[in-house]
Amino acid sequence: MLLPKKVKVYNSSNLSNMMKNALYTLCAISVSLLLGKLTYALIPFVPASLYGMVFYCLMLHFNIISPIKVEKVNLWLVRHMGVCFVPAGVGIINHFDLIKLHGIAILIIIFVSTFTLLTVVAWCSEKIFKAQQSKGNS
Amino acid sequence: MINDIISPENSTVSLAIFITLITLFLYQFSMKIQQKWQFIWLNPMLITILFLVPFLLYQNITYSQYHQSSQLFTLLLEPAIVALGFPLYQQLHQIRYHWQGIIGVLSLGVLVVLCVSFSMTMFYIYQPSLAIALSLKSVTTPIGIALSEQFSADSSITAFSIIIAGFIGGILGPKWLDLLGIHCAKSQGLAIGAASHVIGTAILAKDKPEHCAYSSLALIFSALLTAILSPLIIPLLLKAFN
Repeated sequence: MLLPKKVKVYNSSNLSNMMKNALYTLCAISVSLLLGKLTYALIPFVPASLYGMVFYCLMLHFNIISPIKVEKVNLWLVRHMGVCFVPAGVGIINHFDLIKLHGIAILIIIFVSTFTLLTVVAWCSEKIFKAQQSKGNS
Repeated sequence: MINDIISPENSTVSLAIFITLITLFLYQFSMKIQQKWQFIWLNPMLITILFLVPFLLYQNITYSQYHQSSQLFTLLLEPAIVALGFPLYQQLHQIRYHWQGIIGVLSLGVLVVLCVSFSMTMFYIYQPSLAIALSLKSVTTPIGIALSEQFSADSSITAFSIIIAGFIGGILGPKWLDLLGIHCAKSQGLAIGAASHVIGTAILAKDKPEHCAYSSLALIFSALLTAILSPLIIPLLLKAFN
């Protein structure tokens, strides 16, 4: 049987719903970020945006922000957030001298420390998961 | 060429518009390339940087000019970090059963990576600011950048080494752990999330869903733990090497 091809329908209610959700998400994120900035002004320990992230997560958990409304726009934001880090990465322009001097040493350091971290975390967590499993079985 | 077209009176505004557009265009272009060929090392962030750097050098645009003109992206950085709270919320129920173990292991990992990379850098190169920038390389980019700016280290070195660490861990990590005899999906996922953050998680997401859940859990928690632990550890390490 021939099925009709899926056609994206942008009727007006659908579109306005999308816009509403986008605005809702933006407001929710701004409020969380504002709370984060306030907390940072009181306790300058962790960057303000991280406080904001925790507030956002907690408000979602206690249903102050509706997760269903936020979901789609948030997914889009997380998928495309990479572009915000480009300016920081381009800063490598200023460090060609450093790379010429120490490039290989830096690569070795990154390599060794990454593999050390991988080994430590995997080994310890396997111990813990196994211990919990045997506890659960007995 | 660009500097000739742009007259000195309105230079900052039009340069800002131009830079913003070209960065967006390059990013979209590299997203399309990655969707077409599906190679994991064709990371959009990496490709955009690799295209932009020669272009800026060719056009004689300095980094301070570029940084000023790309304020829009810097402005969006903080909301983007806040948006990461949603995946954290999605993982909350998973951590409920063994959160003590997971947090313990991850904080041990954060301590180990801070000490190892800091002392190796001090041993080989002996530059404290470089050591700070490199020791923050196992967290996800936004948080790594925010932290290294907080310590007034160079965030561009952190950003670049974060990307390299992501690729190393994501591509070689599963093979390395299989070689060590650790086959459990949960532990492999946790390890790769702790070491190679978003890039490692994205590499796992393609064909290992169980790995991916634990990896995203680990990346968020190790970022938080690094943010909490590094202001305590780094001053100590700085003192120890002076």
